[in-house]
Amino acid sequence: TDVNISNSINGLNFMGILDARVGLQNLNSGTPRSFSLPEYGPGQLSSALEDSHSLKSVDSGIPTLEIGNPEPVHCSVLNVKRKQSEPEIVPDRAFQSACTLPSYVPPHSLTSEQDHAVRKSSTFPRTGYDTVKLYSPTSKTLNRSDDISVCSVSSLSTELSTTLSVSNEDILDFVVTSSSSAIVNLETDETHFSDVTLNSSKETNEQNLQECCQDTDVDSKRKILGPFTNFFARNLFTRRQSARFEKQNDVGWKLFGKVPLRENSQKDSKKIQKEYEEKTGRAHRPLSPKQNVRKNLDFEPLSTTALILEDRPANLPAKPAEEAQKHRQQYEEMVVQAKKRELKEAQKRKKQLEERCKLEDSIGNAVLTWNNEILPNWETMCCSRKVRDLWWQGIPPSVRGKVWSLAIGNELNITHELYDICLARAKEKWRSLSTGGAEVECEDAGFSAADREASLELIKLDISRTFPNLCIFQQGGPYHDTLHSILGAYTCYRPDVGYVQGMSFIAAVLILNLDTADAFIAFSNLLNKPCQMAFFRVDHGLMLTYFAAFEVFFEENLPKLFAHFKKNNLTPDIYLIDWIFTLYSKSLPLDLACRVWDVFCRDGEEFLFRTALGILRLFEDILTKMDFIHIAQFLTKLPEDLPSEEFFTSIAAIQMQSRNKKWAQVKRMLIFDN
Amino acid sequence: MAQEAMSDISLEGVHPTYIYKVVLLGSMLVGKSSLAYRYVKNDFKELLPTVGCSFFTQTLNLEGGTVRFEIWDTAGQEKYHSICHLYYRGAQAVLLVYDITNKETLNRAKLWLRDLEKEFLPHEIVIALVGNKTDLAAEREVATEEGEELARTKDLLFMETSAKSNHGVNDIFVAIAQELLQREREKPSALSPRGKSTVDLGESRTKTGCC
Repeated sequence: TDVNISNSINGLNFMGILDARVGLQNLNSGTPRSFSLPEYGPGQLSSALEDSHSLKSVDSGIPTLEIGNPEPVHCSVLNVKRKQSEPEIVPDRAFQSACTLPSYVPPHSLTSEQDHAVRKSSTFPRTGYDTVKLYSPTSKTLNRSDDISVCSVSSLSTELSTTLSVSNEDILDFVVTSSSSAIVNLETDETHFSDVTLNSSKETNEQNLQECCQDTDVDSKRKILGPFTNFFARNLFTRRQSARFEKQNDVGWKLFGKVPLRENSQKDSKKIQKEYEEKTGRAHRPLSPKQNVRKNLDFEPLSTTALILEDRPANLPAKPAEEAQKHRQQYEEMVVQAKKRELKEAQKRKKQLEERCKLEDSIGNAVLTWNNEILPNWETMCCSRKVRDLWWQGIPPSVRGKVWSLAIGNELNITHELYDICLARAKEKWRSLSTGGAEVECEDAGFSAADREASLELIKLDISRTFPNLCIFQQGGPYHDTLHSILGAYTCYRPDVGYVQGMSFIAAVLILNLDTADAFIAFSNLLNKPCQMAFFRVDHGLMLTYFAAFEVFFEENLPKLFAHFKKNNLTPDIYLIDWIFTLYSKSLPLDLACRVWDVFCRDGEEFLFRTALGILRLFEDILTKMDFIHIAQFLTKLPEDLPSEEFFTSIAAIQMQSRNKKWAQVKRMLIFDN
Repeated sequence: MAQEAMSDISLEGVHPTYIYKVVLLGSMLVGKSSLAYRYVKNDFKELLPTVGCSFFTQTLNLEGGTVRFEIWDTAGQEKYHSICHLYYRGAQAVLLVYDITNKETLNRAKLWLRDLEKEFLPHEIVIALVGNKTDLAAEREVATEEGEELARTKDLLFMETSAKSNHGVNDIFVAIAQELLQREREKPSALSPRGKSTVDLGESRTKTGCC
């Protein structure tokens, strides 16, 4: 059991989940103790981390389902069960136990033990395997999250998925599956699930004692995260990684102990039921998610068990034989149908999961490339063919903010200090307005006080109308103040432009990917680009020039639709104004909008118009059958379920060349003409 | 003035369908989108700020014919003012909306009115002055009489409404439709103000009223 210890130490720095399990075994299984486990101070933590270096090296920097641990992992609870016949031993500080909770052991005696254990673990990898293995995936998982992935945090923070982490046969799977709790669900193992939950809740007090400080921390974090969890699951938060790391662990730990089983079963009792039936009796669980996929496919359809052909009640006259025969036949057909349906569903789920694995793999590789190759050599690499191709695929969320910042640049040389100054000035104005103070010194003369007041009020109102379904920008939401600050600071930085409706969406998307001051820098520089300036200053003449240039490429690419629009007197301003003002963030699903932004950062304004043509091309057939008002309605409110691959294929098919002239040339010509 | 039904309507008792472009104008935050949303979807909820313009349609059957409204809901922020004529060009009716809890929005409405007078001939367009947010009666800054007075001097339709509590919303659109039909009867052969687009639009955008 030496190895036991070392491995559990390995996992100790990851707190919560692991400890719960350790404690669990301790109390319920009464495993005889032969060692005491060292308390994990900072020193041990680092040694533990070292111990897991091999895991780190595998780390791609992104949540991936594929983790290269070939060995099966046993669930601690199974061990518990197995050992239930053994005498129960009350945990005691004096006891030396492989599974003793860390803080029971006097620290000074531990250091050597720890060293010993760690050493052993590296030289003696396989004995005591079943208990040992339990911990390694956990530690590995958390390790990965450490490095990177905000996405994985996201799933951790939803209550549902956290519950799942308990039930999950392999926490690893859960953590890395970044966005879908449903799929995680597929991999849960009900047998283990219930046991763990029950036991762990018994343990809560004890664990609380040890980790009370973390506990309170967790509580507050949970509160913050609570309502936004769905959003987090969308992989949009890519920054503040270290903070996220803590959060992730904390939340996982906290929920592990406290979330009742019921919540999960309510939410997906059907699936869990299936999984339960499917997996009962399985002591060994495959580690690789691919194996899981396969397993999911193998399962016997079960819904038919609910459909039972009962004998006719005795108090009713018997059916004629013929009819009974017919009914039996019908019943069998129904069963066959149901089985078919279930198999189909299972296959579909398998496919989805495989696709997700592939996708996450490719994202993982992309993150590596971005972080290790491209970002360190930005100047030389950003224009290379290879990078441009990778860029087109979409920038992984974890590096998106960095890439945007670099690509947008900082021509205006805005510093964090300047942001602070603008913000301070904005706050001053808000204060003087709210106290009804007299006219403040008028450096932005020409803008009446009423105007300014209205615009400040408008900012306030628009903030809560920015991505309202995300619930993070509204009053009391975590990013409400951030958005308010950036927009307020901008009106002080550029009083000549001021706040224009639509800006709040741009700022919000930046906030989702960058820290506040960096978001402000990117925001100001982005709005300073010629196209954005033309629109946000509502320079009508220049806007018409852009529309005219757009129409040149429209006619070139989609002549039939162009004629149809002309016939219906449908001018580009009808749909382009909204798209360009908000850079598609209001009209496209957020994940698609971010990908459009990716390439917009690469290609500049031209891509905004190319995207517009891509949309028109994608819906060309529908649009040619519509009249004016329906086209206008359709384009100002695009379908919510835009298929992302088709969408980008459609954009890719748009040629931004007209009679050998590129976008910039056409635009320049038109400007001269005016 | 609207695109009248296609020329093949000759059957007695078949109402023609008239298609009218109605534009909502007014300052920001007076509730233009909410009025349109209430009228078309009969619902009230927090709506995203309008950037540019959004569009609705609504059909209503009246004695004199079927009316299909194409509603253009414009962005209200002052900054967008310079592109607004893009939207009200060719309109048959305008809802000029102000907020009864904000005096400034009525003043803005007067400015809009001046713009419209420049763009349209007096009887070319039906203008309805709408004082919205009667549900906030406690915060009222504009007396009903004030709105009435303005409407009387400028020969506008007038109504106070609440998109939130669904007060008067339907009525004002019906009143506009009736006024438009009335004018239709007065000058049955009037040309559409839409100019060169009329022929195309007339063909592709009108239907017989039998449906």
